[in-house]
Amino acid sequence: MALTWRAVVLAALGIVPVLLWPVPGTVLVWALVVVAVCALDVALAASPRRVAVERRVAAAVRLSERTSSRLTLTNVAPRRLRALVRDAWSPSAGTVSNRHTVDLPPGEATRVTTVLVPTRRGDRVADKVTIRSFGPLRVAARQASLDVPGHLRVLPEFRSRRHLPSRLARLREMDGRSAVQVRGEGTEFDSLREYVIGDDVRSIDWRASARRHDMVVRTWRPERDRRVLIVVDTSRTSAARLGDEPRLDASIEAALLLSALAGRAGDRVELIAYDRTVRSRVAGAAGPRLMPAMADALAPLEPALLETDWSGLVTAVHERLSQRALVVLLSTLDAAAIETGLLPVVGQLTSTHQVVLAGAGDPEVSALRSDRSGTAEVYDAAAAARGEIERVAVTTVLRRHGVEIVDGLPDELAPRLADTYLALKAAGRL
Amino acid sequence: MSAPAPPSAPTAGQSPTTGPGPVTTLRTPVVGDGTTASSRARSRWRRARWPVLVVVALLVLAGLSAIARPATSSTPLAPDNPEPPGARALAEVLGDRGVDVVYVQTVADAVAAAEADEPTTLLVAQGDYLLPEQEDALVGTGADLALVAPSDHLLDLATDGAAQLSYSWGSSETARPAGCDDPAAQAAQEIRSDGVGFEATGTGDVTLCFAAADDPDVAAYLAHEGDGRTVRALDTSTILRNDSIADDGGAALALWTLGANERLVWLVADPFDMSLSGEGEEDGVVAASLPPWAGVAALQLLVVAVVLALWRGRRLGPLVTEHLPVVVRASETTRGRGRLYRRAGARGHAAAGLRAATADRVASRLGLPRSAEATTLVDAVSRATGRPVEQVTHVLYGPPPADDASLLELARLLDQIESEVHHS
Repeated sequence: MALTWRAVVLAALGIVPVLLWPVPGTVLVWALVVVAVCALDVALAASPRRVAVERRVAAAVRLSERTSSRLTLTNVAPRRLRALVRDAWSPSAGTVSNRHTVDLPPGEATRVTTVLVPTRRGDRVADKVTIRSFGPLRVAARQASLDVPGHLRVLPEFRSRRHLPSRLARLREMDGRSAVQVRGEGTEFDSLREYVIGDDVRSIDWRASARRHDMVVRTWRPERDRRVLIVVDTSRTSAARLGDEPRLDASIEAALLLSALAGRAGDRVELIAYDRTVRSRVAGAAGPRLMPAMADALAPLEPALLETDWSGLVTAVHERLSQRALVVLLSTLDAAAIETGLLPVVGQLTSTHQVVLAGAGDPEVSALRSDRSGTAEVYDAAAAARGEIERVAVTTVLRRHGVEIVDGLPDELAPRLADTYLALKAAGRL
Repeated sequence: MSAPAPPSAPTAGQSPTTGPGPVTTLRTPVVGDGTTASSRARSRWRRARWPVLVVVALLVLAGLSAIARPATSSTPLAPDNPEPPGARALAEVLGDRGVDVVYVQTVADAVAAAEADEPTTLLVAQGDYLLPEQEDALVGTGADLALVAPSDHLLDLATDGAAQLSYSWGSSETARPAGCDDPAAQAAQEIRSDGVGFEATGTGDVTLCFAAADDPDVAAYLAHEGDGRTVRALDTSTILRNDSIADDGGAALALWTLGANERLVWLVADPFDMSLSGEGEEDGVVAASLPPWAGVAALQLLVVAVVLALWRGRRLGPLVTEHLPVVVRASETTRGRGRLYRRAGARGHAAAGLRAATADRVASRLGLPRSAEATTLVDAVSRATGRPVEQVTHVLYGPPPADDASLLELARLLDQIESEVHHS
């Protein structure tokens, strides 16, 4: 039951009889007239519960892209349906306009489209569909809110994909390069080709040269089919805001860029998101199925206000990996968190795996560090400098354990991690 | 995607609004919300029953309390007050003797009640807060007046200026004989009074009784005949009070004074009563200047307002809530630490932090290991910047600054050295 502005106008028209017969009884009679008209209109309105509603919505959309929720409304009542339909979504689903006017003769169907521009990563659930069915006089209406399930997964934006072409070009440069400085265990023999000036003489294949009349060198290509395990820390440290986003979003961007790159480089990429339990995982996805699986697994992650269980994390890593692998920890470089968390258990990881620890720093703290505008600011700068010293100290200890450290502001973290990966690959340290 | 076909998110390559894309479709359309008219009525009743019950209970309580309102009050000199300051004893006796006691609390009611056809006595029991206009209206009724402790103005009006207050507090403890031929005073024989007393002005005919022992001109009671009515005044309220009416001849005087007519209008004016005063009349003027249909039109507007509220008040479906992520700024800890330094005045700590950070960066810039000796670093910095060794040593390893200004100065010096090293 709902009224419209016409009911207000009808009530206001009562001022005419009231002026003609100025007694309280007139007011009462007119009020009864208004009630009667509203009741009649409601009685003649089509039932909002006799509308078949069907919803179609894209399963997933990338953050800040447009999608739509499409409702098909079929009037199964014997009356004409004149209705206002609201397709409600949670605020961050970014509905542009979710109210639709519908006029349906009996038995006919129509489709209404609500445009969604999601503003936040994660799973967005459709709320109720409300149908307000007006009577023929449009004075009053019947209203019902129906549960029409709908679900939209908003995938991470993957802004860092603009760094991908340059990193892939570097990867191709590494491919087929003859003069490898470090012919380590990881580089693989690729092919033989003619010697050109500038090639390392150490890579001349004398036996093959003897068979031919030219000098022949061996070429190498970066190792393939290495295993890369990305561990995204979703604990309390990932909830901290860096600029506009939580640290977790910077970690997700870095994870996506790294898995895109490593996937193209032919490595087997796996992912787990962990705080005290495994929140999400990707394993066994390769080729074109890798990135959709990654985006899907990372999309619903939310920071949990828990302390990371680092020994549990190490156990989880060991469960996934039997051979040597690259383990990328996307967490924080905060000194206190590392000292009490990662440091005691890092030896168990570095004994078998190459470990990279990446954590996004706070642009605001960097700004604080160089601010000299006043006394209070200098104290803040001193605090920031202290934090930096502590971080440097703890990362030095980690480096001594053989851990590669990747530090950077949220926007820089993803490309830097990709560069570190390429450097490790070039050095054959995977 | 401009990149050479990197794999990407599932819907990245195709626009979800145009491409077929994976979609979630509800196979079976939803019809209705699973309720029927009767189940909705039941659930509405379940939701509304407690508020409805509370409202009904409140209404019942209000009705009961209106019915069971105590017939007594605590207003001094009121005829329904059985407490010592009340006057219920007198009113009961008067009622038993056939006097019709009408208890009113506003001047307007008193004037309306006193302007009856039958002979009426108007008792003004509490006249202290009456406004001049109200006193005029009371005197103008034409009924017999009984004034208890009247104000000067009221007394002057009622007796046509024949009497006035004498403001003498004399022998309140001694019983005063009547000393006049007024029948009421004769019946009472003697009373005691703690009032201010009346005295004649000499301009009119007035009977004064119960003169004070020390001043025969000051009386506690007066009677005045004029304009076809009798005005009686008492300078004290003690002879009406329940606790003192039986003293001396008080009861007789009170009964004589108030029981003179078949009807008694008993006014105990409320201190906030503004009826018939100037303001009240102005309201009346405003009301009179409005057309007669104004009230009814206002009622109709009220109905319109209710309909308007119902129209705007009905929401199109429930509000949608959402869990939002916590907002914890990562810089909060750093700022908090800085504030602690400042509050504690830890200039030494702050300076040490700034120096160490600068030394660290400068050392890595100059290619020195982190573990380099202080003298090695100072020499290297001195060579790179061209500053004397002593100055560099003082800046990088000097004593902690003495005050905030020198801390600021130190910070700027450190910045200078660092930028000089970077540009060297």
